[in-house]
Amino acid sequence: MDALIQMQALTKIYQTGTVSVRALAGIDLEIQKNEYVAIMGPSGSGKSTLMNIIGCLDMPSAGRYFLGQDDIRDLSDNRLSEIRSRKIGFVFQSFNLLPRVSALQNIALPLIYLGFPPKTRERLAAEALDRVGLGDRKQHKPNELSGGQRQRIAIARALVTQPDLILADEPTGNLDSKTGEEIMALIQVLHDQGHTVIIVTHEPYIAAHAARIIRLRDGLIESDLPAKPQNLPRAR
Amino acid sequence: MSFSENIRLALQSLKANPLRSVLILIGMAVGIAAVLHVVVLGELTQKRINERLQKMGSDVLRIRPGFSRMHGVRTGEKKVNLKWDEANELVAQSQVITEAVPVYSGGGDVAFRDKNWSTQITGTTPAYQHVNNDHPAEGRFFSAQELTERARVAILGTTVYEKLFDNVSPLGKTIFIKSQPFLVIGLLEAKGESWSNPDDQVFVPITTAQERLFGVDHLSTILAQMRSAADYDEALFDIESILRRSHRLSRDAENDFQVRRQDFFLATIQETNEELARFIIVIALVSLVVGGIGIANVMLISVAERIREIGIRRAIGARKFHILFQFLTESMMLGFFGGILGVGGGMLFNHFYIDAGLLLPWPWIAYSFGICAGIGILAGIYPAFRAANMNVIDALRHE
Repeated sequence: MDALIQMQALTKIYQTGTVSVRALAGIDLEIQKNEYVAIMGPSGSGKSTLMNIIGCLDMPSAGRYFLGQDDIRDLSDNRLSEIRSRKIGFVFQSFNLLPRVSALQNIALPLIYLGFPPKTRERLAAEALDRVGLGDRKQHKPNELSGGQRQRIAIARALVTQPDLILADEPTGNLDSKTGEEIMALIQVLHDQGHTVIIVTHEPYIAAHAARIIRLRDGLIESDLPAKPQNLPRAR
Repeated sequence: MSFSENIRLALQSLKANPLRSVLILIGMAVGIAAVLHVVVLGELTQKRINERLQKMGSDVLRIRPGFSRMHGVRTGEKKVNLKWDEANELVAQSQVITEAVPVYSGGGDVAFRDKNWSTQITGTTPAYQHVNNDHPAEGRFFSAQELTERARVAILGTTVYEKLFDNVSPLGKTIFIKSQPFLVIGLLEAKGESWSNPDDQVFVPITTAQERLFGVDHLSTILAQMRSAADYDEALFDIESILRRSHRLSRDAENDFQVRRQDFFLATIQETNEELARFIIVIALVSLVVGGIGIANVMLISVAERIREIGIRRAIGARKFHILFQFLTESMMLGFFGGILGVGGGMLFNHFYIDAGLLLPWPWIAYSFGICAGIGILAGIYPAFRAANMNVIDALRHE
């Protein structure tokens, strides 16, 4: 098995004035390629911090983190940016689309920073849009789309660079449960197509889609178990 | 991310707030417009001065009576002490003065049919035309015979012609000068405005002006033509000694007349213009600085409004310099638009206000755009730097 993510004794301490908060207290974690993992935990458990570090948005205070072959500690800010655009696809709770820009341009954004020429960008973005079932919404701006559609655009943006890892932070948090299920079904399809998926949530029924559930408490891994076989309805 | 894409991006973002962009640029535009105005005005004036200098030459001296004094204080009144004989004396006694033209001019009304115009009536001799380079475009100047006969003949300046006649030839028409009938025999070439308007004049024989129109026997000016401009010192010495003797001035008395080079007032115009130009350029610099501060301000607001966008871009792979260039391009474009506004405004202003026509100072227009874009970049450095170095996670969470 190829380990995509390897963490050893990873800690993160936030210093605010004289108070220091230990968000992660020593995480040892290995996630293989093509896994579907849910990270759960109450608020304050460190799951967002872990997510940020996995996504190379934040640096650990101590310990090691390998993403593929790269030791994150050694990398420059530029290299980290490149890894974010090349290897990781982010899906956020609040979608985080650029409001003034069309669906297609939003999706093409990561490709711009990877230096793809405009024609290629447009083609790849259109393909990604087709994959999330919104091929007919190319020129729509985010505010002309429903929440579910916006999240699909965001997923298409995460997909467009063919990343090793799709990182979803409460992807259904701003959606009603029916739309949320549709989004989860879409993520399931992506996993079935071979993407590694990590999803952060505090909803057990969302986590239940994953094959493996990691529970955090007080900055430590409390449990790391295969998900129970579940019989929640699926869109496909 | 290519430069052209950055520009497209900047345009997109500026379009989102067009009013703010335009308002902030007005200050800068005024500065640029002022610079262009000064430049064009300067070039225009210089051109006219050069033309005038060529037309009248610098070898003519203008002798006028001095001001009378009351208990040592200068009054506004001119003395009445220049005579035609003295003009003749100058030519007779000086080696370097080849011609001296007597001139008497005064104000008066000129009428043709129902039209009326108040102008300057200048009496002189036929020699005036070649000394002052004033030639008829139509008709002729008066002759020596008409001078001795005190003939009622007149030559019109173009302004007077335009005021009295509607596009018909004035030759052979009878006009009334100070209620006396005169035959129009010539129309002068236009000279163009400088200090005063030399086209707003009517020329008549000096004998007619002195005896028939004004009833005087003195002159208001003698135009003395030198052999060449290099003879100035000698000519001045001759004029002073001849006139002082003729006016019986004691050894320690001041001159009761003034001698000016014909081109003297042009130098004054030139100096005044340069002074004005310096002043306006200082104002322009101030408004450019203010404009730069305005751009920096707008860019700071723009960055603050788009913290989330910066977070998103950074999260999905934008490097710091991508963000830096994005905002620098935006501020550069702001400056550039300020330039367009300023150059456009300046050209329009010049067109309507000083009738500069097609006089486009291309290098200055290019400098203007360069300066504006430069100010834009300079003003954008700090905001762009702030944007690029924002903490990604904080920016993403920003509401």
